[in-house]
Amino acid sequence: MSWMHRLRNALRPGRTERDIDRELTFHVEERADELARAGLEPTEAHRQARRQFGNVPLQAERTRDADLTLWLDALVRHLRLAVRSLRRTRGFSAAVVLTLALGIGANTAIFSALDAVLLRPLPFPDDDRLVHLPQIIDRLGGNLVAAARVADWEDLNTTFEGISSYNTEGISDTTGDVPERVRRATVMPRFLEVFGVTPILGRGFTEAEHTFGGPAAILISESYWRRRFGSAPDVLERSVWMGERTYPVVGVLPASFRLAERDVEWWVPQQVDAPWGLNRTYNSDTAIGRLRPGVTIERARADLTRVQARLGEQYPETDGGLTPGIVPLKDVMVGDVRGSLWMLFGAVTLLLLIACTNIAALLLSRATRQGHEIAVRYALGASRAAVTGHVLAEAGVLAGAGAAVGLLVAVGSATLLRRLAPTLPRLDEAVIDVRVLLYTAVTAVAVALVCGVLPAIRNARGAIVAHGARRTVTPRQSLQWWLVGVQMALSVTLLVGAGLLVRSLDTLSRVDLGFDPDRVLAFRVSASFGEEQDYNRTVERINRTLDALTALPEVEVSATAVQLPGVPGQVPRELTVVEAATETPLVADVRVVSYRYFETMRISLEAGEPCRRTLTSVGVTEALVNRSFVDRYFPGRDLIGLHLAGGSDDRIMGLVADTREQGASSPPAPIVYQCFSAATPFPWFLVRTRGEPASASAVVRRTLSDLEPLRAVYDVAPLSQWIDDSRAQSRLRTNVLTLFAVAALSLAGLGVYATLAYAVSLRRREIGLRLAIGARRSSIVGRYLRSGLGVAGLACIVGLALSAALSGLLAGMLYGVSPYDPLTLSAVVGLVLVVGAAASLVPATRAALVQPMRVLREE
Amino acid sequence: MAPQKNDILQGTLGLLVLRTLATQKRMHGYAITTHIQQVSADMLRVEEGSLYPALHRMEQQGWLRSEWGLTEKNREARFYALTPAGRRQLAQEEESWTRLARGVGRVLRYA
Repeated sequence: MSWMHRLRNALRPGRTERDIDRELTFHVEERADELARAGLEPTEAHRQARRQFGNVPLQAERTRDADLTLWLDALVRHLRLAVRSLRRTRGFSAAVVLTLALGIGANTAIFSALDAVLLRPLPFPDDDRLVHLPQIIDRLGGNLVAAARVADWEDLNTTFEGISSYNTEGISDTTGDVPERVRRATVMPRFLEVFGVTPILGRGFTEAEHTFGGPAAILISESYWRRRFGSAPDVLERSVWMGERTYPVVGVLPASFRLAERDVEWWVPQQVDAPWGLNRTYNSDTAIGRLRPGVTIERARADLTRVQARLGEQYPETDGGLTPGIVPLKDVMVGDVRGSLWMLFGAVTLLLLIACTNIAALLLSRATRQGHEIAVRYALGASRAAVTGHVLAEAGVLAGAGAAVGLLVAVGSATLLRRLAPTLPRLDEAVIDVRVLLYTAVTAVAVALVCGVLPAIRNARGAIVAHGARRTVTPRQSLQWWLVGVQMALSVTLLVGAGLLVRSLDTLSRVDLGFDPDRVLAFRVSASFGEEQDYNRTVERINRTLDALTALPEVEVSATAVQLPGVPGQVPRELTVVEAATETPLVADVRVVSYRYFETMRISLEAGEPCRRTLTSVGVTEALVNRSFVDRYFPGRDLIGLHLAGGSDDRIMGLVADTREQGASSPPAPIVYQCFSAATPFPWFLVRTRGEPASASAVVRRTLSDLEPLRAVYDVAPLSQWIDDSRAQSRLRTNVLTLFAVAALSLAGLGVYATLAYAVSLRRREIGLRLAIGARRSSIVGRYLRSGLGVAGLACIVGLALSAALSGLLAGMLYGVSPYDPLTLSAVVGLVLVVGAAASLVPATRAALVQPMRVLREE
Repeated sequence: MAPQKNDILQGTLGLLVLRTLATQKRMHGYAITTHIQQVSADMLRVEEGSLYPALHRMEQQGWLRSEWGLTEKNREARFYALTPAGRRQLAQEEESWTRLARGVGRVLRYA
C-alpha cells in the first residue's frame, strides 16, 4: 500500500472501517449462501457462517491495525490531542504563536531577500556563462572598453559564443508634450544573443541598422511600452522622438531583462563604422561575453589576453599596455551587498533563537504543571516515546501555526524591506515561492524540535514522580529564569547599540555644515556627451539658464556646481602652487563651481573676490581656496594672486571660510574652488528660493521648458533631501538595529511575564497558605515584583558589560558620542527596568488576588 | 463438522495465500479460503476470520495489491493479486518451507 494510501487511511478512519466491514460481511454472506444451498435455513445458515468466521469485531480490529501504520496513527492522534490541550489554554497558545510568527516571518523575509539577491541565478539563460569584461590599464583598474576594441575581441576570440557591449546615457524623450528623461543604452551587434534574450514583440537589430547612415531603429522596454503606448498591440508601427529625431520601434524587450543599470528603457544600435565607433581611445562601453559551454574562465582569460596582445602590436599607442579582465556577471551585479545581507540573516536567526528559548521556557513551565497528568500516564503504561511524542506534538502544532502566520508576516515585511533598502540590487525579484516555503517548513520543524526537546527530556526523566502527596513547596524554576536572564541581557546590549547610533545620528544632523542647505533646490538638465565638441556654446547655454533662473521672482540667486555640496564622493587631487614650491605636493578637494556659487550656498568670503562670469573655456581660469588650505599648507601667507598648477592653471583670487561639503561626518578639508560654470554638459543647478524649494520646482520646470524645449529637467529635489539620502545607509543601519533591539526587549518582557505567571500558578497553594496565616497582599505583590526586577537588574549589569566588551565594533560608526555615553546607558537601564516591572506586575497582582480558601481546598 | 484449529497452519498462511494467488491470479478473500480447503482435500481449514488481517498485512508489506470489483453475482468484493515482490517472497517462503519439512522429516526418521 502506498504512503498516500496509508496517510489517507490514517486521516479517515471511518472510511477504512467501513471498507473492512464491507469486506468481512461479504465473506460471511457468501458462506451463508453456500450453507443455505447445502440445505440450511437462511437465518441458521447465517449464524453458522458467522461462527465459522470467528470473532468478527476482533478480526475487523486486527485488520484495521494491519492497515494503519502504527506510528502514523499515533502521530495523528497526538496532533489532535495537542490541538485540544492547546485550545484549553488559549492565551498561552496565542502568545506563543504570535512570537513564533514574528520570528519565523522575519527570518523568512530575510531569506527570500537573500535568495533573490545572492542565491538565485540571474534572469538569463545559462547565466553562469555570462561574464563582464573590464579593461585594465596598467594595474590602475578601469572598467570601460572602446567599442572598436569590443568588435575586435568578438572577431578574434575562440572561447566565447559572443562578445558585445553597451553604454548608457540619460537622454530627452520628446515623444510626449513635455520632455522626459529616459535612460538609453547603445548596444553593439549580437547584444541580445549574448544575453539570450528574445523580444516579446518584434525583433532585434539588423546589420544594416548597425551601420553609419543606416535606418534608425529602437527597442523599447516592456515598462516603457506600457507607460508611453498603453501596451498597444500596434506599437511596432509607432515611433519615438529623441530630441529632434524620430526612431521607429522595431521590438519590445521583456520586463525580466535587466542590466546592472536598472532603469534602461531604450536600446539603440551602435553604429560600428561611425567615427565614434572606430575610435579606439573612446573607452565608453561595458563589455559582456558569453563563454562557450565547457570553457573555463581561465581558458577564456588566456585567450583574450592573447587577442589583446595581438591588438597591442597592431595598434601600439592605443592598445599597448591594456589587459582584459574576466569577472562573472553575477558578482558584478550583486556587488558588495553580500556581507551585509548575511549579517542581517545572522541577526534575524539570532532573534529567532531567542524566541525559541523563550518558548522552550514556556513549554517547560507548562510541562511542570502537567506533571500529575504525566505521572498518571506512565502509571497506565504509556511508553517514554508516547509521552515525549505528546510534548513534541504540542511544540509541532505551535510551530506549524506560527509558521503559517509567519508567512503572512513575511509577505508584509518584504514590502517593508524594499522600502528600507531601495538600493539593494535584485530585491524586487524577491518573491515567496517554493524554495522560500520549503525553507519556512524546515525552520518550523527546527523550531519545534528546539522548543520541544527540553520539556520532552524533562518529562521523560520524571517517570516516577510522587505527585500523590500534597505539595506546598514547589521546585524553583532556575532553568527558566536563566533563559529569561540571558534574553534580557542580550536585549540590553542591542538597546545600547541602537541608542548610541540614534544619538550619533542626532549629533550629526546638528553639525554646522559651513553652508546653508535649506531653501536650495537642486536639479539637472539633460544634455549629451556630444556637446563636449563645442564648449563655448555649452557655457553660453548654462550662463543663459542661470540668468533666467535668477531673474525669477521666486528665486534669490542660482549657480551651478559639478558636485553637490554636502554629499560625499570627492576624491582629493594633488596640486602645486607655482610661486611657492613645496617638497610634497599639496592635496585638496577640487570643486568646480560657477559664479555666484558662494552667494547661493551662503559661504562667507574672507578675502579677495568670488568667481566671475566667464564666457570662454580656454585661458587662465580663476580659483578660490578655503581657510583649511591656507592654514595647513601656507599658514599666515596671503595666496591671492598666486597660481595653482596640477590639472589646470588657475589664478587664486579669493579665500573662503571652511565648509563640510564632503558631508557632516568628515572634518573640514582643504578645498580649491575652480570657477567654471560648465565643466560638464550637465552640472548640478543650485537655486536658492525665497519660499519652499519644492513649490518652486514647477516654476523652474516651466522656465526651462521655455528656454530649452528639448531638454528634460530631472533629479529635482531640495538639497537637504539629497544630503539626507546620502546618509541613508547609516540611517538604515540604525533603524534595523533599533527594530531588533525593540523586538528583543519585547521577547524578553514576554519571557519575564510568562515565567513569573507560571511560577505564580505553581505556587498558588503556597500563596494561599501565606495569605491565610496573615500575610498582606501588598507583600505578595512585592515579592514577585522583586524577583522580576531582580532578574532585569542582573541582566542590565551583564548586558552593559557585554556592550562594553563589544564597544570596539561600534566605535567606528559613532559620531560625537562615546560608546560609554552615560545618558544613553542610563536611559537603556531605565527602559529595561520599567519593562521588567510592567511584565512582573500582572502576575504579581494576580498572585495577590488568590483566594486562600478556594486554593487550599483544591486537590 | 467442527473446524480444526491448526497452529502450524497459521504460520504458513502467508505461503498458502501467495501460492494460491500465484496460480489463480485474482481472487477475493472468500474464494481464497474455499480454494485452500478444496485443493488440500479439506485437510487444511483456515480460521476464516484470521485470513483478513493476514491479507491486509501482506498488502502493507507490498506483496499483494487489492482493488474493489464485482463478482459474477454482481456483489462488491475486494480482489487481491500478486505483485512482483510477492512473487519473490513466494519463492523464498517455498524454499524455507521445503527445508523445514525435510529437516523435520530427517529428525523424525533418524533421531
